[in-house]
Amino acid sequence: MAILRPAGEFDTSYASDMATIRRPWQWCLLLVFLLALFTLPFYASQGLVALVNRIGITIIAVQGLSLLTGFTGQISLGQAAFMTAGGYVSALLVNELGWPFLLALPAAAIAAGLVGLIFGLPSLRVKGFYLVMATLAAQFIIPWFTRNAFQDVLNGAQGLNVQVPVIFGVEFNTPQRYIFLTLTVLVLTTILAFNVTRSRLGRAFISIRDNDLAAELLGVNLFKYKLQAFFLASMYAGLAGSLAAHQLRHINSETFTLIDSIIFMGMLVIGGLGSNLGPIFGAIVVEFLIEAATLLGPFVAMIFPAKSAGVVQALRPLFFGTSLMLFLIFEPRGLAYRWQLFKAAWRLRPFSH
Amino acid sequence: MNWQLLPQFAISGLLAGGPIALMALGIVLIFKSSYIFNFAQGQLLLMGALLTWWLAVDIGLPLWLSILLAIAISAVLGLLIERFTLRPLTGQPLLTIILMTLGLSQVLQGLALLLFGGTQRNFPQIFSTANPYRITTPFIHDGNPIIVILKQNLVWSFAVAILGVIVIGAFFRLTRTGLAMRGASEDHELAQSIGLRIQRIFGTSWALAAAVAAIGGVLLATSSGLDVSLSIVVLAAFPAVLLGGLESIPGTIAGGLIIGLAQGIVATSKTQIIRNSAEIMPYVVLLVVLLFRPEGLFGQKRIERI
Amino acid sequence: MRRHLVGTIALLMVASMVLGACGPKAPPDFTGRTITLYHFGDLSGPYAAITAPLVHGAEDAVAAVNAAGGIYGATLEIQFADTAGSIDEAVAAYDRFTGADDNILFMITYGSGEVEALAARFAEDKIVNITAGLSARGFYIDSGYTFGLGPIYPDQFGLVMQYLHDNWDTMKPEDAGDEIKLAYISWPTAFGQGALTSETRAFLEDLDIEVVVEEVYDLSPAADTTTAILNAQAAGANVIWTNTLAFGVSVILNDLNALGLRDQFVVATDNWGMDLATYAYMADPSYGVGLISAFPYLWWTDTENAGVQYAEGLFAANERPAGEHNVGYLLLVAGVDMAVQAITHAIDTVGWDNLNGEAVADALIDLSPFEALDGVLRPDYSGGSRSPHVSQIRMIQGGPDAFNILMDWTETPDLRPVE
Repeated sequence: MAILRPAGEFDTSYASDMATIRRPWQWCLLLVFLLALFTLPFYASQGLVALVNRIGITIIAVQGLSLLTGFTGQISLGQAAFMTAGGYVSALLVNELGWPFLLALPAAAIAAGLVGLIFGLPSLRVKGFYLVMATLAAQFIIPWFTRNAFQDVLNGAQGLNVQVPVIFGVEFNTPQRYIFLTLTVLVLTTILAFNVTRSRLGRAFISIRDNDLAAELLGVNLFKYKLQAFFLASMYAGLAGSLAAHQLRHINSETFTLIDSIIFMGMLVIGGLGSNLGPIFGAIVVEFLIEAATLLGPFVAMIFPAKSAGVVQALRPLFFGTSLMLFLIFEPRGLAYRWQLFKAAWRLRPFSH
Repeated sequence: MNWQLLPQFAISGLLAGGPIALMALGIVLIFKSSYIFNFAQGQLLLMGALLTWWLAVDIGLPLWLSILLAIAISAVLGLLIERFTLRPLTGQPLLTIILMTLGLSQVLQGLALLLFGGTQRNFPQIFSTANPYRITTPFIHDGNPIIVILKQNLVWSFAVAILGVIVIGAFFRLTRTGLAMRGASEDHELAQSIGLRIQRIFGTSWALAAAVAAIGGVLLATSSGLDVSLSIVVLAAFPAVLLGGLESIPGTIAGGLIIGLAQGIVATSKTQIIRNSAEIMPYVVLLVVLLFRPEGLFGQKRIERI
Repeated sequence: MRRHLVGTIALLMVASMVLGACGPKAPPDFTGRTITLYHFGDLSGPYAAITAPLVHGAEDAVAAVNAAGGIYGATLEIQFADTAGSIDEAVAAYDRFTGADDNILFMITYGSGEVEALAARFAEDKIVNITAGLSARGFYIDSGYTFGLGPIYPDQFGLVMQYLHDNWDTMKPEDAGDEIKLAYISWPTAFGQGALTSETRAFLEDLDIEVVVEEVYDLSPAADTTTAILNAQAAGANVIWTNTLAFGVSVILNDLNALGLRDQFVVATDNWGMDLATYAYMADPSYGVGLISAFPYLWWTDTENAGVQYAEGLFAANERPAGEHNVGYLLLVAGVDMAVQAITHAIDTVGWDNLNGEAVADALIDLSPFEALDGVLRPDYSGGSRSPHVSQIRMIQGGPDAFNILMDWTETPDLRPVE
């Protein structure tokens, strides 16, 4: 990557070599971007704000998956299940124990992380496809648990109504307000993800992904780091699950499903594996695709009036699945890689080679 | 435990394992030849059932012809899927291939919904729904012998499914193509070097798997109606595949039966939560297998240990 | 009632013309304005079978209202969101709708889960929610703007159990004992578990009805209820309640017949369970015979009723397929009439400029008890209740459509949750 840096820019210290944000103008751009995001409720429609809110929560879940799958190479189809765990813990802490949301949120993250650890344990013994199956098991066992265990607390299949977060007397009960919560958490998780991946921990993750045997020979403790990756990924899922549950104001065993886990995986691949921008690109693109299906549905229904029922829901998996397959065939490195190429092309302009 | 229910649930559980074995077979066929785990098997099954329904009910063909045609169309669909979605990925890492079949499952699910709509439909009856078989067991409860009641479609679906697995197994053992496929599964490069057309073998395995899926779809749809959610039943077959051993055809029977039996046995419990655990039993069994015998009962001990 | 309404308006117009300037003031005319009803349904998820006719019923009824002159000239519109039965989709659609329209009067919902999740929002934003998802929690917990088209499931369940208790000698299966032993076999969803609340448990206890097993099965027409049924039999159950619809009921009936155990159980269900959609999955139409349900509306066979005739006319005029000739269509034609009555009453009370969800909610309560579509529905929201407390009990006694009255309109037990 260093090759693609603008001419005349030299690193004079390790710190500047590792810096994510390197130049004052980058700081400015970032601040403008964040300002534009945080002021969204003041100029965008409620529908758009709600959509951005949803995308924000999704990005957090995919960021977790990115650490686990993109950086550590452990494939997981259980991310939605860990969201369920986080959502329930947070809902119970706030509803039953009266915890403030700001405490319940990190507690939910840690609880989901611990649940993730349990299902990450098989990663010590099996990998690849077998691990996928173990995480798939989480996707069945955790929702089953919420339906059947402790029915007087978890309320079985009917699930829980979840209270609206109240912080310093402000009720976060509309998308316009809730988005501040989501964006704040998202900024923190993004900073965390960037810092994890460029630290010792991240380098260990990448070494496991690229060659676990070599990594072990070099002294990377596979057990420890794999479990840490699982814990981190599930923690992210827990945050996303808690945010989603309080935003929906309801959680049951079917709020986050296997399909969501599959979509998260798809977002990660479409966005780009092994890049911190990947989850952001992927979640945005796929959510907009899904939104496009919602908008296009009625028109497609007009073309096939006999099939009009359910067209929207049919287009969504169709759009998602098709774009995922096209990306896998034509650009398996995802949008983040395209973005690198794009930036490089501009920096090298007019000499593209 | 309700001991008096044990014979009943053990037997009906075992019988329910038949279709699970058939679904597992479809997955094993593809994995055996190309090391691809097909997450879209459920959607192939759904497509087979929907095609049969469309030919038999919408077009009005005789049921037997519709089933044969649907199997044939499914096989072609299998060939096309292999050619256009998986062949371009040859040599790609595991994650790419897993995601491709997941993407494929989404596309097929969407297509099924778009073409056939979300409504549930009644599937033509193949087996009589009345007059279940009654078997008197030697066990006594409350002074009366325990009678096991078995639904006809359960019994016959089991018979067809197991027959299907045996036929495919025989095909692999006894025919030249089967031999070639077994050879290919040992080592792709070696197989190519002795003149086996490995791509044709991949295609054949997908076509076979899709055909097997269509049969499974018909069996399931005839016993309980048909809608686009039929595809999820395959989720119970994934653990059966692992349990039997990813590459073993007889293993699918063992895996299917063990999972069916496990589901039957927990259902005899007097505690509600244990009864309800029948639905996750496949995955509990799966976790146990992963921890203690990841290669499955009949699989080859080939996976890398860490 | 629609006709009555149109007739009344026409009469009023004629009267005002005759009386001229000295008469009462003319009915208002809001031609050119629109009122939009928002509609959440599942056209592609598990409840698709029952939802399509609901949606079409609403569409046809709205078109007919507009053709007859709308509400004082204002046109009704309807906007639909397919939620596939999922709560996050419902919340997304809710945000989309409320963002685009800041004076929403009505939202129509069907899923119990959706209602529970959205109930607090309806109350906060003061949007009247007419719903067919009748699980109790959606109505009474953090709620207040949710109005049921029928009695909540606990009330329906209680009513049928009360009836069975009172008539056990005639209703009981041949070799059943003198006590009702209930098996609650249902879906593991908010809807499926919606009838078994702490209030109904207490009510059953008072009736000396023991719940001997609670079993769940998959929300799928491919579900197998054999183990559930055999467990019920082993536990000595003689009554099965299933809080499901369409294939949910038929898988039980199919399996009971396949196991040869149909004559050992009375099978009862909520109002949705007794419908033509149930027949679509029944292996043989004769399996339906003997099914009992609470039935809080009239049925297509009550042809002497003007409202049913009106719905039948709409159904024929719009050439809807025979498969949609079921509860959903009829109920939504009645539901739209209920909405029109409430909006009209609200306009009469507060005027157009003050027309909002709150006014409509007040109108619904103020009108109670009343009849929608000439008595097809009997809404009643008086006394703090958010759902009517009357229903019939019907039993299938023949081929499809032979939903015969076992007990005419009667008061249901009041089993709403106490907070």
